Amino acid sequence: MKNLKINYIVIFLLILSASSCIEETPNFYEFEGYQFEKLDENGGTWKTILLSNPTQISIPQPMPTNSAEYQAELMGLKQQMSGLSVAQKAAVRYWTNNPVLRWNEIALELAAKYNLIPGPNADGNYTLPNPANPAGPPPFPFAHPPYTSRMLAYLSVAQFDALVVAWHYKYEYNRAAPYQVDNGIVQAYAPSQLPSYPSDGATIAIVSKEILVTMFPLEAIYLENKYKEHIASLVHAGINVPSDIAAGTIIGIEVVKLANQRASTDGMSKAQTPKAVSDSITNAAFTRFGWKWQNTETPQRPVGLTPLFGNVKMWNVPTVEEVRPGPPPSPGSIEFERDVQELKRFASHMTLNQRRIANWWEDGLGSYTPPGHWNKFAKESIVKHKLNPLRSARVFAYMNTAIMDAGVACWDTKYYYHYPRPVETISGFKTILGTPNFPAYTSGHSTFSSAGAEVLAYFFPADATQFRIWAEEAAVSRIYGGIHYRFDAEVGSEQGKNVGTYAVNRAKGDGAQ
Amino acid sequence: MNRLLPIIMGLVISVFIQFKTNAQTPWDEIMMGRGEICAALIYEHSSWNQYWEGTYLRENANIGTFTRQMGMPMLAMGLTNKINIIASLPYVSTEASGGTQVGQSGLQDLSISAKVDWLQKQVGKGRLLFLTNTHFSKPVGNYLSDYMPFSIGFGAPELGLRGIGGYKMDNGLVFRAALAYLWRGQTEIERNYYYQNGSIYSQFMNVPDAWNFHGAIGYWAFDNRLRVEATYMSLNCLNGDDIRSYNRPQPTNKTEVSQVGAWVQYYINADRGLGGLFYFNQTLSGRNMGKATTIGLGLTYQFKVY
Repeated sequence: MKNLKINYIVIFLLILSASSCIEETPNFYEFEGYQFEKLDENGGTWKTILLSNPTQISIPQPMPTNSAEYQAELMGLKQQMSGLSVAQKAAVRYWTNNPVLRWNEIALELAAKYNLIPGPNADGNYTLPNPANPAGPPPFPFAHPPYTSRMLAYLSVAQFDALVVAWHYKYEYNRAAPYQVDNGIVQAYAPSQLPSYPSDGATIAIVSKEILVTMFPLEAIYLENKYKEHIASLVHAGINVPSDIAAGTIIGIEVVKLANQRASTDGMSKAQTPKAVSDSITNAAFTRFGWKWQNTETPQRPVGLTPLFGNVKMWNVPTVEEVRPGPPPSPGSIEFERDVQELKRFASHMTLNQRRIANWWEDGLGSYTPPGHWNKFAKESIVKHKLNPLRSARVFAYMNTAIMDAGVACWDTKYYYHYPRPVETISGFKTILGTPNFPAYTSGHSTFSSAGAEVLAYFFPADATQFRIWAEEAAVSRIYGGIHYRFDAEVGSEQGKNVGTYAVNRAKGDGAQ
Repeated sequence: MNRLLPIIMGLVISVFIQFKTNAQTPWDEIMMGRGEICAALIYEHSSWNQYWEGTYLRENANIGTFTRQMGMPMLAMGLTNKINIIASLPYVSTEASGGTQVGQSGLQDLSISAKVDWLQKQVGKGRLLFLTNTHFSKPVGNYLSDYMPFSIGFGAPELGLRGIGGYKMDNGLVFRAALAYLWRGQTEIERNYYYQNGSIYSQFMNVPDAWNFHGAIGYWAFDNRLRVEATYMSLNCLNGDDIRSYNRPQPTNKTEVSQVGAWVQYYINADRGLGGLFYFNQTLSGRNMGKATTIGLGLTYQFKVY
């Protein structure tokens, strides 16, 4: 019997010690709802990106709060609020008073879900995702970093423009929120003087849903359900009546039209080229420089990732050539050999910290990509500084256009110079990270990250140093990972910073400061 | 693959301790006597060129043939006649013949196991037996679990509780079945966002719990110097996600495996000194793991300290 007792005591202690250190694995960023640091009453005058002017979109004049129509809406709202289910209350808590953040998270989740590279068919050929047949196989899209950067740019720009219009009418009509009209209504979020007509939440919801359905057509039902939950939560939280929501929806639909118009003609549909075009790009580089990049997978992929993403229309930079850096050191040169020696040294003597940095910033297949990583930083900074939805959308819009521009600039450079990867130039070289399906110079991580960091440093100057340190770490992570030479990373960082500055200069003149 | 480690380790444990009537495994009916110690060194070679992506068996030329080698020192001792302790610490190394990614090598998990003998009763022409085995294992090195399929382990603590029933006949035949529940903890990874049927914002992954079954028919020959066993083993995680299309595995995956095997052990002297062993395992079915063929070789040395 003594043995039995010892055995059970040991088991009990082991379970206790194991269960005491279980970490949370949340599906979204859990933060306390907050009071906006300011409301930006003049937000309707800020410069928009897609629209020329907020009055381009008109909404009906709202009924006054003492009208019978409004009072009926208010009655309906109170009725709904008095009988909320557990799920409805959870939805109100989830969406918060800054739902820009939630829709950004949904976008990142879909990026991670669709960031899967198509594998070879049985015959050794590859089938590419096809927007005309999204179900595939393989499913459309492959949400690689250029795709994701563009998806986030359109999402954020459309959110931002739509909210500028919403703010314009909010302060034109100044209709009080339900909880201001009726003391009996206790709104779910922190007190706010923000006029409720048109609903900023409904604007964000419709814009986000529509843009994301365009970007992820197979997710239409999932997104529709998210949308409905969000719209219902606006009433359940006591912040909007149905006419607020209807007006917000009108704005959103109009802005989405403009966004889709731009997206359909920005050159993305031609970014993934046929083999003949890809070969001619390769040959042009080989003729010019005497080297070329080739895919190193088995079976070999005939075309690299989006060779003509460098031709896609940029947001803040007039021409891609003005942000194209000079050539990399040629293979065999002293500078090249120096950086190769460094790669070999890291590979044979990798420290734990170098390994951690390489993995921390990998953001590879199956993840939300480097643009996603910077969106997460933006989200956390927005919460930390208690930004309102309009100001949050502004941060995302400028950061994500800068990041997409950085991607365009980087891809232009990649396929212009067509520089081989370390696994091609160093015999027998093996890496801890997978080597991507596109040329080395310049590093995408470096370019995306320093562009993102420049914009965040401008919006959150107190944390500027931290953002730039992160961007440098992201750049060097690719050297530790064995998939980039130091010159890829350093020139990429400069390039990204340069591109980011265009976005910052534009933001400085948008009237928000 | 990595999920197999506790099993492989367990099998290895069984292999080298199954000498004479005073050697044992975590799922067999045998106890070592008080003061008996067995030290062992095992080498194992395992390889596959097909793996299950979810339930779909596929090849991947960027992996080619995946090879895993293990060297493992082990120590087992009889604390009392009713309580035995077993400890092991493997060194594991992995590599792929295809692709450009480097393998991983290092010390894996320290495992400590305690076995208790509850019942031995003569029934008919044999003895009916019931025992339990409790084990705990924990990574000791700095290997990264989130580097599959190259990771040498799943990087999380594991606590297992196993019940063992058997019938050992007087003519040398042994029938045995063992069932264990394996509690797995979390593994710390080097990123704080990953996808597991949705976004996860955490630097930790939950490694799913599992059921683990062993069955065996064994036979003792040549005056208890040779032991031969035919074995069956299965492991089934209770939850977890599948490897996504053409994507890499991760420690959160729902792994399943069933395999058959054979063991041959020879004890040179009667009940002391040197012994040798050989084993073979073939994976029959699986989910989110390689279809592996495994061979093991070992040397054991047994002695009495008190």
